[in-house]
Amino acid sequence: MRKCILLCLLLLLVPAAGSVASEAIGSIKNVQGESQILRDGSELMALVGATVFERDLIRTGRNASLAVILRDDTIVSLGPESELSLKEYLFEPKENRFSVILKMLKGTFIYMSGVIGKLSPESIQLETPDSTIAVRGTRVMIQVKP
Amino acid sequence: MAAAAPFVVLFAWLVFGIWGPEDKTRVILLEDPDGQVGQVEVVTAGGSQLLSQAGEMTVVRSAEKAPIEVRQADMVAVERTFAAALAIEPLLPEKFLLYFMPDSTELVPESRELLLRILEEINQRNSQDIGINGHSDRVGSEEYNKALSLQRALAVRELLRMQGIDQILMNTASHGEGNPLIETPDNVPEPRNRRVEVIVR
Repeated sequence: MRKCILLCLLLLLVPAAGSVASEAIGSIKNVQGESQILRDGSELMALVGATVFERDLIRTGRNASLAVILRDDTIVSLGPESELSLKEYLFEPKENRFSVILKMLKGTFIYMSGVIGKLSPESIQLETPDSTIAVRGTRVMIQVKP
Repeated sequence: MAAAAPFVVLFAWLVFGIWGPEDKTRVILLEDPDGQVGQVEVVTAGGSQLLSQAGEMTVVRSAEKAPIEVRQADMVAVERTFAAALAIEPLLPEKFLLYFMPDSTELVPESRELLLRILEEINQRNSQDIGINGHSDRVGSEEYNKALSLQRALAVRELLRMQGIDQILMNTASHGEGNPLIETPDNVPEPRNRRVEVIVR
């Protein structure tokens, strides 16, 4: 049931998301080693200050690590050989509209919730290939086996 | 052959750190930087587990089975596994409050001095993301205060821009009178609500 509602919501969001796709949802903060951002089939270097967008995939290299900070101050730190998909992100406090869906595909992560974690924790969903993780305003470590 | 099994497991544990051979996802709850501890619920098709104390851990071994019973993580092993992610974890965003003269985009004198601290913080962190949120007190109409708050945010952005901060890094927003620090009745002047919040990330 919840999945269905989520799916319906997702479908509703598609046109809206399309129209604001050019808006950055955050940026790369700290960088160690070489990592990439995969966006619309192209591969970009993940440099300090690089902006990230909804649907980007961030992939850290072999001895690399980095942190992503999103507009509501959600922070995700990635260890080496990790993959994070920024599936969905909506932060419109004025309209009271929030959504965070991050998928951790493999690797090590430290997630720290931001403003959305305080205002609307139920809008946050972390996914791994085998589970979903609901976080209520906190800091959490997640390791996903490749 | 069978006698070798425990050694294989031990070997795997030594080589792969905290990984058990069947573990797919590990989730460990930590304390927030402010010392509070939240909650985390790990859900699979087979069930769920709730973590509510710092250092608690659960493990998912299959999408069909429930996550394993909550246990205390071996934090030494955890810190080893997450060493790189821990080392890169950024500072928390720093927040500053700038205050304004009544019905004006002019900063009060103390806030003009604080502007230097903000610049320092931006440069020190090499910040690429600065949030500037304008607020007002409740003197005047809601629409008027929305516009005034925006003007205040834009004034701060201009001050920072003149000090060499690239405008593209600054994100302005207007909250009007709707998000006060101090609750007041309508049309009551409140200097602490006439403010711009600057968040250096």
